[in-house]
Amino acid sequence: MSDFSPIEASSRAAATTFITSRRLWFLVVVIAIGLLPLIFSSSYWRTNLIVCAINVLLAIGLDFVLGYAGQLNIGQSAFYGIGAYASTLLVMKLALPFWLAFALGVLISAIAGALLSLFAVRLRGHYLAIASLGFAVITYQILLNWISLTQGPLGIYAIAPPPAITLPWLPPIVFTNLANLFYLTAGFAVLVYFILDQLVRSPIGEALTAIREDELSAVSLGIDGPKWKTFAFAVSSAVAGAAGCFYASFVGTLVPDAFFITESFSILAMVIVGGMGTLIGPVFGAILLTMLPELLRGLGDLRLIVYGASVTLVVLFMPGGLVRARRLVARRAFRAGAKPEGHR
Amino acid sequence: MLTVVLQQGINGIVVGSLYVLVALGLTLIYGVLVQINFAHADIVTSGAFAAYFVAHLLSGNYFAGIVAALIVGGLLGYLINAGIFAPLRERGGELLPLIATIGVSIMLQNAMLLLFGPIPYAFDTPYSNKVIRFGSLFFTTQSLLIILVSGATIALLYAFLKFTFLGKALRAVSQDRETAALMGINPNILIMLTFIIASALAGMSGALLGPVLVLTPFAGTSVIVKAFAIVIIGGFGNVEGTIIAGLIVGLIESYTTQFLDPGLIDIVVFALLLVMLAVRPTGLIAEKRAENV
Amino acid sequence: MKVPLRIPLLLAVLSVFILIFAVPPLRAADNLIKIGALLPISGPGSYFGVQDKQGVELALDGLKTGVNGYKFDVHYEDSACSPLPATQAAKRLLDQYQPDVVIGEECSDATLAVMPLMDQAKIPLLNAGSSSIKITDPGNPWTFRIMPNEVMQGVDLATNAYKRLNARTAVLLHENTNAGIGNAKVFADTFEKLGGKILEDIGFGRDVNDFTAIATRIAGLGSVDVIPTYTLEGQGLKITEALMQAGIVKGGGGKAIQLGAIWLPFGFEQKAGKAAIGYIRIVQFDPTDRRPLVHDFIQGFKAKFNGDPTHLNAHAYDQIMLIADVVKRGAKDAASIRDGLTATKDFAAVTGSVEFDKSNQNIKMDTVHYMETKPDLSWESLKWN
Repeated sequence: MSDFSPIEASSRAAATTFITSRRLWFLVVVIAIGLLPLIFSSSYWRTNLIVCAINVLLAIGLDFVLGYAGQLNIGQSAFYGIGAYASTLLVMKLALPFWLAFALGVLISAIAGALLSLFAVRLRGHYLAIASLGFAVITYQILLNWISLTQGPLGIYAIAPPPAITLPWLPPIVFTNLANLFYLTAGFAVLVYFILDQLVRSPIGEALTAIREDELSAVSLGIDGPKWKTFAFAVSSAVAGAAGCFYASFVGTLVPDAFFITESFSILAMVIVGGMGTLIGPVFGAILLTMLPELLRGLGDLRLIVYGASVTLVVLFMPGGLVRARRLVARRAFRAGAKPEGHR
Repeated sequence: MLTVVLQQGINGIVVGSLYVLVALGLTLIYGVLVQINFAHADIVTSGAFAAYFVAHLLSGNYFAGIVAALIVGGLLGYLINAGIFAPLRERGGELLPLIATIGVSIMLQNAMLLLFGPIPYAFDTPYSNKVIRFGSLFFTTQSLLIILVSGATIALLYAFLKFTFLGKALRAVSQDRETAALMGINPNILIMLTFIIASALAGMSGALLGPVLVLTPFAGTSVIVKAFAIVIIGGFGNVEGTIIAGLIVGLIESYTTQFLDPGLIDIVVFALLLVMLAVRPTGLIAEKRAENV
Repeated sequence: MKVPLRIPLLLAVLSVFILIFAVPPLRAADNLIKIGALLPISGPGSYFGVQDKQGVELALDGLKTGVNGYKFDVHYEDSACSPLPATQAAKRLLDQYQPDVVIGEECSDATLAVMPLMDQAKIPLLNAGSSSIKITDPGNPWTFRIMPNEVMQGVDLATNAYKRLNARTAVLLHENTNAGIGNAKVFADTFEKLGGKILEDIGFGRDVNDFTAIATRIAGLGSVDVIPTYTLEGQGLKITEALMQAGIVKGGGGKAIQLGAIWLPFGFEQKAGKAAIGYIRIVQFDPTDRRPLVHDFIQGFKAKFNGDPTHLNAHAYDQIMLIADVVKRGAKDAASIRDGLTATKDFAAVTGSVEFDKSNQNIKMDTVHYMETKPDLSWESLKWN
């Protein structure tokens, strides 16, 4: 089904009813999230579901800056770690309430992201990629070496899950219950997805896409490149920071090694495999690449080789990611038939 | 104190040459292809293992091991180019080949893990434990070998690029692929050649570095990120820059170890990287490259 | 954008995979003691996992006929030496395999992360690889450790260095990990309390390959009596060689004595050569131990794996044998195994004897063996314990 057929477009324009296809999908997703912990009731699978939700957050956050704003950011692990450590330390050292620490952790990550962007404002392509990687390495080393602040490799233990939420007429919702924790993280992920989706469809999203496609021309049209790039970075790091906060209170243990630069590559792989620049693609990429290593546990020693091979193969044969593969195949078939002579 | 400073200077140059050997291949590939091969350091590790097995288990001759490493490296380079970079070249973009090579890196490391196991190998060569001393200064003959071979390789590479037809063709392709094609040079074959040479170089580096590195399948990860930093600090695609940057990073390592703390090495090196990127992104020796602005 | 139908279909297929690849259905629990093994099998941590597995397999070979009518089964899960993967592996183990007892992990962070899970599930966790004091202090009633912790080793080593070796100055060298930092700190505290002086405390990352710079720095300090070194064999080898090249240690013509704790296996000397001469260290497994139990273990290992056993092999072997002993004394499920472990008195293990104190730490000091490397590269047991 193409987006270009005039008949479809007009019938869609006409059908401005309450029930749109997007709202229907939204409902399906909410129901699915509600049912998942009931289907997968073991502690093990619920743990995996929560990890999925956290990875979905990381992936959509990265897609915003990478797929939409076109900024080659491979330092996402830094903001993930900053969010995790900031929120945890605020609770443990300053005894701040959890949600305040959460908000501050997100804010601190956002500021860090904005700083990186301002610093790297003139960099493009591989240069930006390596600058972001360098930033991630430095952040990791600081987390590792500043022992008086972060405990470094000694680690922070016994991190409490989010405190129970008491709503009127209901028993308190306790987050030591994994199902509840899943609802919390998945619900937050859906909220963030919704916000990002709105941003992407707004004039802001158009500005970002313009910057991605051709920054010079965008600037000539009056779009403030640096401002919007910084915005994209800040949003993306804020989301990663939020994921970090959830990570800390979910795993209960915080060590710097969880935020080594290889974590950035995992998140990047989720975005690419799912489909960069589509927002929904990274969701599937995150779910697939979280579940795949768990499913492959039966393979024992071959597990990681298969994982590496899967990532490579998807990139080679489905470069637009899972969600775009069909369209790409169709386009290639079309092109194969109508290739102009002498063009290599 | 002077002895210490001098000795750390020597140490820095030795470590620097180690990094230069690894980074040279990366720079070569980037110069021609404008792509980053993340599996590069794993090719170095593969070369080290190849050399170890040939030298220790088969013939007992270290130089046979070096040759084996060259071959293994070149072969891996051919495969990676044919399998990944060539097919993805038409689609352009910097990100896809990078991710694909990350996948290859994971596969290579885990394949080596399956074949060789995680226990470090002690790769002894006739040179690795002999120490040369003058006064209270010292270095091992293996380090000397590394420096000499790096130097010779760089000189040969230089001569190749400047004086031979193939070398000139390579430089043409790196400057402007389309025009080079119009001139009758087949860029694909040249790119393939570059890859093979750079990867063979990486393999050979592995043979030289095997005795110096902690030899496990994960040895590559300990050097790859710094190698990238060096390539950027020196200027992507620029051979002289890479050499200078590599030596500087080596010296930073030894002097930071001496006067600060070994744990801070990475912070200092990457802080330098970020400063370079902010102030002079094209690298120490600015390359006249048409930036895709 | 409309999501292609393919995606939900793919997820449905994945769900089917879950069922296919899940752990096979559990056999009836009658007469079978299920031992879960939470070990790092992937990544650099597999250094531990691979050797642990060997020890386990060797022990199982000797238990084929069962004990008290019970047979033993072991199931491995990859904990990758890190908290989150360890948590996931532990949950999978508990949910799907439902073991009666679990052995593991190696890395302190991972062990600390899974301890609460074991406590909650009321399954005993038998550890033989993590040195962090937190595992038994505070610890919990379901976690047991058979190897000496960092305090036991560090206090003993520092005291011996000061009193037997007359050391007054020391330079600490350690990897920047939980175990490295923890062990170094205990040594430093004890040594200074006795009146010794710590000249420098040098921590390095796991990615350092070349130690010449560090060796040079130590050489620049002048005279040093002892260099306690806390690192694994890969970097340990490079350090010892560098110290020799810089002329610091006895093997290089210097005076300093390298001290170490349990991480260097037998066979290290052969790789390090004369750089290791004079190295004094605590080992968990003493291959010169004359007890027939140890002799049989070494012979059995050589026959099965064609090499010399390391302390990692020995630890894993001891864990299984201790569990077998507890079963012999009448245990048959998680709770009785836990009680049996608590009641252990003077169990003869390959690495020494086992008896747990109130915090479930094995307090027998004969698990702390001192060895010195002789000029012919053989080990001499120093009999300091």
